[in-house]
Amino acid sequence: MSPTDKKRQADFQIIARWVNEGDRVLDLGCGRGVLLEYLQQKKSIYGVGVDIDFDKILSCVKRGVPAYQGDIRAILANFPDDAFDRVIFSRTVEHLEEPDAILAEGLRVGRHVTVGFINKGFWVNRVNSLLKGRRTVNEVYSKPWYESLPSNPFSVAEFEDYCDARKIVIENRVYLGGDWRTECSKLPNLMAGYAIYNLASTD
Amino acid sequence: MNDSEQAPIIPDEGEVGFVEYQDFVSEEPFKFVSGGSLPELTLRYETYGHLNAAKDNGILICHALSGDHHCAGVHGIEERKQGWWNFMVGPGKPIDTTRYFVICSNVLGGCQGSTGPGSINPATGTPYNLDFPKLTVEDMVKAQSLLVDSFGIDRLHAVIGGSMGGMQTLQWAIQYPERIGRYIALASGARHTAQAIAFNDTGRQAIIADPAWQQGSYDPANGPNQGLAVARMMAHITYLSDVGMESKFGRKRRNSDESKEHFDVEFEVESYLRYQGASFVTRFDANTYLYLTKALDRFDLHSPESLDATLRPVTAPGLVVGFTSDWLYPPQGNREVVEALLRLGKHATYAELAMDFGHDSFLVRAPKLYELIHRFLSR
Repeated sequence: MSPTDKKRQADFQIIARWVNEGDRVLDLGCGRGVLLEYLQQKKSIYGVGVDIDFDKILSCVKRGVPAYQGDIRAILANFPDDAFDRVIFSRTVEHLEEPDAILAEGLRVGRHVTVGFINKGFWVNRVNSLLKGRRTVNEVYSKPWYESLPSNPFSVAEFEDYCDARKIVIENRVYLGGDWRTECSKLPNLMAGYAIYNLASTD
Repeated sequence: MNDSEQAPIIPDEGEVGFVEYQDFVSEEPFKFVSGGSLPELTLRYETYGHLNAAKDNGILICHALSGDHHCAGVHGIEERKQGWWNFMVGPGKPIDTTRYFVICSNVLGGCQGSTGPGSINPATGTPYNLDFPKLTVEDMVKAQSLLVDSFGIDRLHAVIGGSMGGMQTLQWAIQYPERIGRYIALASGARHTAQAIAFNDTGRQAIIADPAWQQGSYDPANGPNQGLAVARMMAHITYLSDVGMESKFGRKRRNSDESKEHFDVEFEVESYLRYQGASFVTRFDANTYLYLTKALDRFDLHSPESLDATLRPVTAPGLVVGFTSDWLYPPQGNREVVEALLRLGKHATYAELAMDFGHDSFLVRAPKLYELIHRFLSR
């Protein structure tokens, strides 16, 4: 595994912690299907990926991961309440056009929701912005802004405020440092490079 | 739908090469869903590759409305055109004949050697014509299953098809879930849209309104060729796309012969469609056209109860492929099949290819389609 893949997949073990054996899992913005393949192997899940890009679906087919090419909002509307044990948004929420509505749909369709994202409040991001006037470029996000997806990044503090406001229950949370591997707990909005939440709706 | 133009070839490495058709004859009476029956039936078919000892490497290919059993190779050195899916079927191709035993049969009700309205009714010694039983996609698939039985194959590695063949493929997954390892349905859907039915009926009316049709009792040598040609011309438009036609023909003119009649062929697109119509009548039977289009119009996986209820028996993993420029069987119709399968917790994948060739995109060699099918079959 390349260092980039290593970093890209650093959250897999944490995501897997909250997945039960044989769970039904929907991965929104599944990319190449690597996470679902991992969960299939570790937890024998029934997993479905969703992505807008044909080449990503092709990669899922190579991995034997069922996948749906299309719009996340449209496919969520297709499913009845609690159709899945878990809906995963791994580095997806920041790219959504209507994050609030789609997270609500995710919480309707999934009994639990996993959200993983890069913490905009991480001190390195602050320094890059403040001192260099530039966004952070790392192994996973190595491309310049003009070759990247539109992104609406947010911080740990902002996300937790949102969960409060929407009465979303945070069942578990894990903060990872700048290496996206070592867990950290102090001053997460400043010290966490990456954050992963296990969520459920209040009812 | 199998008129993709191909240069003459000499079979060589990577091609299935010379092929011969065979006839499968079932002497048992064959019962149709409609209640009608045939005392016996014949299916003309071709096979490519070898059936292994375990008899588990069979792939059934289902052809489209105007297709036939000849999907790969050539029948002789003088044959200009290869089978209709030659780019997909052969050694080292996605449907790899070094790995799989590939079967393709002319559909029940067809006119390329399988029993259809033009076949002789043994009871009367004359063609069935409109006495041929009402035909459904279920009947087509049931007949194919008899052919599969004849090879001693319990379970096919895969069933695959586009358009009408895609509908047969979906029907296979529903009707014989334990008999298939996986399935691929291209450019198909759960049922015809009102627009698709409208086009089909306009084609049928062109045939029926042709005086030569004779209530279906025409002499095959003097059939309703005008009507059938018009039906084909119109249907052919629905297999292409606006963008595709524009780039292929635009307003290009055939020639600027002023001496010609005002309504003679003037534009390239007219010439092309008239050729399509004229060549179609040499190889296709008008009554078969009526029967097959009607079977497709009546195909409806939403009935009798709901799409979910119909798809519930499916067990095999499936791949459904839609094409962005297909306005006959649009992406949404393909997608809804997978949406239902996923609601039911089935193993199903939906992929959508951005191609400009309209409904016929699945008959066009494209690297992405190539790889998608190769990968799905290899899993």
